[in-house]
Amino acid sequence: MTLTFRPAAVLLSLCLTALAVTACGGGPEAGAGGSADTGTCDPADITLVGQVRNESNPYEASWLDGGDTFAASVGLQQQRLTYDGESTKQQEQIRQLLASGRTECMVLNVLPNGDSDTTPIVRAADAAGAYLVTQWNKPAQLQPRDYDRWISHITYDGVESGEQIAGSLFEAMGGSGGVIALQGVLDTAAAKDRFAGLEKALAANPGITLLDQQSANFSRAEALTVTETLLTKHGDQVTGIWAANDDMALGALQALEQAGRAGQVAVVGIDAVPDALTAIGESRMTATVSSDGPWQGGIGLAIGYCVATGELDMADVAAEQRAFYAEQFLITKDNVSEFQDPGTDPADFECANVFNRTAGPLA
Amino acid sequence: MSVGAAGPLITLVVVVVVFAALAPQFRTPGNIANILDAAAVLAVVTCGTTFVLLLGSIDLSAAGVMAASSLTVALLVENTRNGADHGLLGIVVAVLLGAALGGLSGLLLVLLRVPSFMTTLGVSAVGLGIATLLFAGVQPGVVDAGLRGWATGRFLGFTHLTWIAAACVLVGWVVQRHTRLGRYAMAIGGGEEVLALSGVRVAPYKVAVFTMAGAFYGLGAVMVTSQLGSGVVQAGADYSFSAITAAVVGGTLLVGGRGGVLHSTVGVLLLTVLANGLVLVGVSPYVQGGVQGLIVVVAVAAAAAPLRHRNQVVK
Repeated sequence: MTLTFRPAAVLLSLCLTALAVTACGGGPEAGAGGSADTGTCDPADITLVGQVRNESNPYEASWLDGGDTFAASVGLQQQRLTYDGESTKQQEQIRQLLASGRTECMVLNVLPNGDSDTTPIVRAADAAGAYLVTQWNKPAQLQPRDYDRWISHITYDGVESGEQIAGSLFEAMGGSGGVIALQGVLDTAAAKDRFAGLEKALAANPGITLLDQQSANFSRAEALTVTETLLTKHGDQVTGIWAANDDMALGALQALEQAGRAGQVAVVGIDAVPDALTAIGESRMTATVSSDGPWQGGIGLAIGYCVATGELDMADVAAEQRAFYAEQFLITKDNVSEFQDPGTDPADFECANVFNRTAGPLA
Repeated sequence: MSVGAAGPLITLVVVVVVFAALAPQFRTPGNIANILDAAAVLAVVTCGTTFVLLLGSIDLSAAGVMAASSLTVALLVENTRNGADHGLLGIVVAVLLGAALGGLSGLLLVLLRVPSFMTTLGVSAVGLGIATLLFAGVQPGVVDAGLRGWATGRFLGFTHLTWIAAACVLVGWVVQRHTRLGRYAMAIGGGEEVLALSGVRVAPYKVAVFTMAGAFYGLGAVMVTSQLGSGVVQAGADYSFSAITAAVVGGTLLVGGRGGVLHSTVGVLLLTVLANGLVLVGVSPYVQGGVQGLIVVVAVAAAAAPLRHRNQVVK
């Protein structure tokens, strides 16, 4: 009976309005989120899931911690999932989750491994009726507004962050001198955008020369070796190092220390990992940019929770809130103390505030 | 060393001469010290991998073993996470942990008869698991001045890491040439059945080789930790494959029984010189990976040509 009825309900919900679906709600789970738009889940029935690559780096670990904090604030527990940076493993975890039955009150806050991984995740979650928020990676043409249950996609403007740290770097160098750039994995959007930001800043600062640019693949160890080599190549001309992430910036700092040039060269990065914040506090490093990992871990769950419980009506979620750049923060010695104790502000996760950090629509 | 086995060395010399001609900075003493410093960790890891390759086995466990040892040493010497300050003892424990994990690979291989490809991949995952647990979300920074000094301190112009690597290569060479373990490793790779039929119990030697390899990875991890200034789970991420590549480029063949520590070290130097020289010559980062790969393939083909038997099957 249920088996024959369910496909019909799914068909109806696709074809008809939310009202029509509620009208035929005879099935056992119809009360729990039968509407495609606004949820009617009992808060106690909601399952919260956070999924990142691994817990072996401070950023993603703090992301899951932020999710735990939010879950605790609404009396729930977050299921922490990691997939070791393997796309197939991520898809398998999502499949297993969604096969578990009560998916209509499930909230997923997912970091897709790469752009192409987002499409199957979105389709599976939408088909199962689970609420989904994705972050960082998605193909440009894939839009949350085309789906009922994919509420939002959140990412950060890499051009802006690349330019912000370049600004701090050039200021620390006194407006003139030579810079070497350490790029990330060259075929990633993050590496391309951040470097474009540096190029923009260079165009605006004719006193600064880009001596060299090399890829160190976002890796601390590679950055160490590459920086040593570049210091040999350019010698004392190097007065600033721009790195596309903090791990590489920290590798560069080690290289400077080993070359006996610590303190003579300004270094900037992106991500605000704890070691970088310590280095900024001790004036060994100039600046970094934070996307606020704990907030990212909490906000995806908060948005999903608010929609699932009906506290946030999907009709009130504006088009630009469904795919947006979130606010990011430039950290220098002046404000580093505010960021050294990673935590979240409960007010950020209140249903009226979940979109407060929207910095602009995703281009 | 026969003329054939000198192929990789000749390639290395040619590459060095070409870079020295193209880039004046390449031939400075400072850069030579840089290259040796950059090669140090890979050289130590490759020493371990070489013995496993001599057996005719393969070892993919360096990534996991190094992760576990890196976190272990960072948490046992004076650090930013806990009150520990065990100095040298911490370093010894990290190396022993590496040896234990290596020994585990070997035991799984001989007791369960699981191919080394699988056991070492499994042990690598175990090591990464241990490292992730130890990491617990907060990176331990190394404060211990002694350990930090490994990377920053210099003796006769070369970093301490370079000297440690040189000592390891020497130890590896002595083990290979002058101990029963080294000669049996060679013999097992050359013809395990013959050796077994002549009454030698090969299993203990296999376990010993994997244990020794693990110890080298553990020491390599301590060296990376000193370089990076903190315990990093990804410390050994690329080393499993880099070490195998270096060994093969140097003439330690995957079929086992051929090559050795010195061959592999030549391979390590060749890879490091390429990475350094291509940057100094000014090859664009967008094509560097491709150029490097191409040179390595050509070098292996050229170097291994005289070593091939006429009817040898390559899989």
